[in-house]
Amino acid sequence: MDIGDCYVGWATDEDIRTRGASGGLVTAMLAAALEKGLVEAVVVLKKLGEFEAVPIVTSDPEEVKAAAGSMHSVPIVLSRYLEYGTKVALPAKPCDARATIEQAKRQQVDIDTTYIVGLNCGGTMHPAVTRKMLETVYKLDPEEIAGEEIDKGKLIFETKDGEEHAIKIDELEEEGYGRRESCQYCEINIPVMADLACGNWGVIGDLAGKGTFVEINTEKGIKILQNAIDAGAVEITPADDKGKAIRAKVDGAMMKVAAAADEKYLAPIEGSHLDYYMNALADCINCGACKAVCPVCACGEGAKCTEFSSASDTYKMSLFHLVRFVHLMDSCIGCGQCTDVCPVDISLTHIYQRFARPMQEEFEYKPGMDMTTPPFFGVDLLEEGQ
Amino acid sequence: MNENIFTTVCPGCSIACGMYVREKDDGTIDIDWRKDAVVNAGKLCRFGVRLSANLKNATSKVDGNEVEFSDAVTAAGKAIGDGAAFVSVGNTTCEEHLALMKLAESKGAVVNTGMGAFASIPAECHPTMGVGVPLDAIESAKKIVLFIDPYEQYPLLVRRILAAKKNGATVTAVGWKAVSLADENKTIDPANYGSELALDSDSVIIAEINPSTDPDRVMVLLNLAKATGAAIMFMKPFVNAVGCDLASKKTEQKSLDQIIAEINDGKIKTLVCLDSDLIEIMPDETAVREALGKLDNLIVITSRASAIADVAKIVVATEPFYRKAGTVVNAEGRVLVGSGDGTDGIDAVGTLIGQPADLFTELNSAVLATLGIDVVDERVVPAYEKPEYGAMDANPTAEAVETALVYAGGPFFWNGIVDDNDFVEMNLDMVTANSLLKGIPVKLTSDKGEVVIKYKVSDVAPGVVLSNAKLPMTTGMVTSVTVSR
Ligand SMILES: Cc1cc2nc3c(=O)[nH]c(=O)nc-3n(C[C@H](O)[C@H](O)[C@H](O)COP(=O)(O)OP(=O)(O)OC[C@H]3O[C@@H](n4cnc5c(N)ncnc54)[C@H](O)[C@@H]3O)c2cc1C
Ligand code: SF4
Ligand code: SF4
Ligand code: SF4
Ligand code: SF4
Repeated sequence: MDIGDCYVGWATDEDIRTRGASGGLVTAMLAAALEKGLVEAVVVLKKLGEFEAVPIVTSDPEEVKAAAGSMHSVPIVLSRYLEYGTKVALPAKPCDARATIEQAKRQQVDIDTTYIVGLNCGGTMHPAVTRKMLETVYKLDPEEIAGEEIDKGKLIFETKDGEEHAIKIDELEEEGYGRRESCQYCEINIPVMADLACGNWGVIGDLAGKGTFVEINTEKGIKILQNAIDAGAVEITPADDKGKAIRAKVDGAMMKVAAAADEKYLAPIEGSHLDYYMNALADCINCGACKAVCPVCACGEGAKCTEFSSASDTYKMSLFHLVRFVHLMDSCIGCGQCTDVCPVDISLTHIYQRFARPMQEEFEYKPGMDMTTPPFFGVDLLEEGQ
Repeated sequence: MNENIFTTVCPGCSIACGMYVREKDDGTIDIDWRKDAVVNAGKLCRFGVRLSANLKNATSKVDGNEVEFSDAVTAAGKAIGDGAAFVSVGNTTCEEHLALMKLAESKGAVVNTGMGAFASIPAECHPTMGVGVPLDAIESAKKIVLFIDPYEQYPLLVRRILAAKKNGATVTAVGWKAVSLADENKTIDPANYGSELALDSDSVIIAEINPSTDPDRVMVLLNLAKATGAAIMFMKPFVNAVGCDLASKKTEQKSLDQIIAEINDGKIKTLVCLDSDLIEIMPDETAVREALGKLDNLIVITSRASAIADVAKIVVATEPFYRKAGTVVNAEGRVLVGSGDGTDGIDAVGTLIGQPADLFTELNSAVLATLGIDVVDERVVPAYEKPEYGAMDANPTAEAVETALVYAGGPFFWNGIVDDNDFVEMNLDMVTANSLLKGIPVKLTSDKGEVVIKYKVSDVAPGVVLSNAKLPMTTGMVTSVTVSR
């Protein structure tokens, strides 16, 4: 087994394989890592409802097994629950993986003892939006939903009576439903920065729906997969070229969709930039949630953004925001958490990305892709002809 | 690394936002966002976000000494005799409130929610004063009139009002301070509300009832709603004020002012407060402290360490709110339960009334019966009867002072917490008229004393100094002050 190899794998336990999103490979690997002592803890989502799950840090393989399956309406970044010094594994969408790496750069995570089991990701939905969409567009009672999947550009809900209800994601997003805005322009679908990249794209033939495609990205990736094979928890077979090609093709198509969303949402601001930002932030109630939830912010209580600003200031736009927009230019990964939790519904990710994207493009630096730190701010832009 | 995760609601105000509390092995907590919560889609205001920094658990005490819970309960049993007065404003579950009612009944007394307005307004109005409108209904209103500042007082209303505006609603704010989301900010004489506001049945009026609210102001708004057909929603500062009101028998309830007066007259010698800190809630802190000092017995049953627990003779410390079993009803009448299963407060009362076994189950059934539901479904707001009521004579007292320090309220204010609210607001005219200097704090002087505090220039009504923090020199929600450097 080598870095770069691609396999299709599945859990040997029939129950895990059936409940798993594609082949239960991820669950079986995480549980085996615990059972064989490769890690002390695993972060997974504990399911509380069809659209509700809460991240838990567990040492109990049964809790890991219970968490099998993909939850598209649980847009949470799991890296925030990692603790430095613990040997740990986590399933990771690209934003989870990137956040983990950014946290490692800030000594919040020990990358050497953290196994990042990457999941391909086409996007997540906010549960409140999912529920409203079900009621108004699908005309379904959210409580009647028994499962969901994304297939060939359609969002399919299965109801408890076994019926499937499919609508094109494009159409849903046209009407303001579907994936979160940040996911629509998130351009990374395959977590190349994780130790493994797992997904259902590229699983074809008899294994379709019953196998997980896995690409090995690092030595740690080999270790956690081999551990599960040695434990008899998973079986793998080499991925065939056709599967690999299909996976690459879908990835490419999704990147084009993201680029189009980028143009739609992040089009240049018309008119006064100052007015734009002042209006966008006018309703901020200074709750601090956007900072508290941000996985790449490691500043804690005495941060520049909070120390330089106070609710008693009369500035039209608080220094809290101005400091943060600039401070996160090199590290915002566009995960959407800040928008999700903003109590006055400000599209914060959108604003952070307006600051971050040009800078990250200019310096050809994408945060969270590897352990390299960002280029210095001190570069003289004028000298570079800007 | 091990933690217990509780699904709960924020105890900060009657919106009762859904959240998770993560409790670590060492007892410390972190909050987490419950994005599937129907009330708030997981979003929280600063109070909810900073709950772990501001929530301190109570400790059982007798005469200032730490004791076991059971010893505090025994001491309370000895101290609570006939003639004791009981207060529970709605900071705990319906079941705990009902348990206190049982204890009060056994002593021939009632539990006072302290909301004076309920005591002095005809009972036929109470259902309308209690349960408001579903938060979703705010989003589909055509016109919204605000008698509150949503940003400061009920922050999770802001997104609802903004959504209504997106749907075409117009918003008028009538208050001490201009709010930026309003299309128009107005100062209107209550006599002219009808003519100036042009409301109809597609309108929603949002106001507040707190323990210090002038009943006449409430009646004016009830009259306005009745005359125009507008829906009306009275927000409350306490998470379960609506639930406790529904659970209470409102016969001969007293306002907090009345209770303080009766303590001063020597009529009340023993006071039992259930998660109700009168020192924090009442605007004249010194007067409350003086009165409480005259009691023979101050018994505090509470989950939270707060000012009143420091002066109580007996503190029966119950589990924190998120760990409690039981029901909460929020401002829209939505019934909510958390995942906690703690029944300390109920067990304490059970011991005191000689009914220790499974009192919770009995009380829980009683609560559901009162609400007319078999099971709690947080996604369905039960139907509430709101009978017709007659128009009332109402003459709100004009706060006729030249310069007034006015309490705006808000979750930090009602919980006596200083967070980012350590300043007052006034308009530029007042700053110039009093030659205040930028960056130099202002001095506010009342009959009772003075305070030096940071100030901020805001679009506040002339003559008003607005505060969201409790200041030591106030005599009421409105206090006459002079302003100087
Ligand atoms: C939101 C989302 C979108 C996805 N989109 C695609 C896609 O477009 N193309 C593709 O090829 N694959 C996608 N996947 C990956 C795919 O659904 C499977 O997760 C993957 O194939 C592994 O399958 P499995 O049966 O081995 O995993 P399982 O054994 O089912 O294990 C899944 C693990 O993922 C965790 N998990 C579930 N939901 C989330 C979440 N929202 N965030 C973080 N962790 C979660 C669970 O706790 C569990 O540990 C997506 C996954 C998610 C979660
Ligand atoms: S931000 Fe990207 S990786 Fe994260 S949930 Fe959205 S689409 Fe997936
Ligand atoms: S600023 Fe927002 S989008 Fe960017 S990393 Fe932080 S939480 Fe994610
Ligand atoms: S989450 Fe929203 S309201 Fe809270 S501080 Fe950030 S921008 Fe302001
Ligand atoms: S204080 Fe009120 S608005 Fe703020 S989070 Fe708590 S319940 Fe919600």
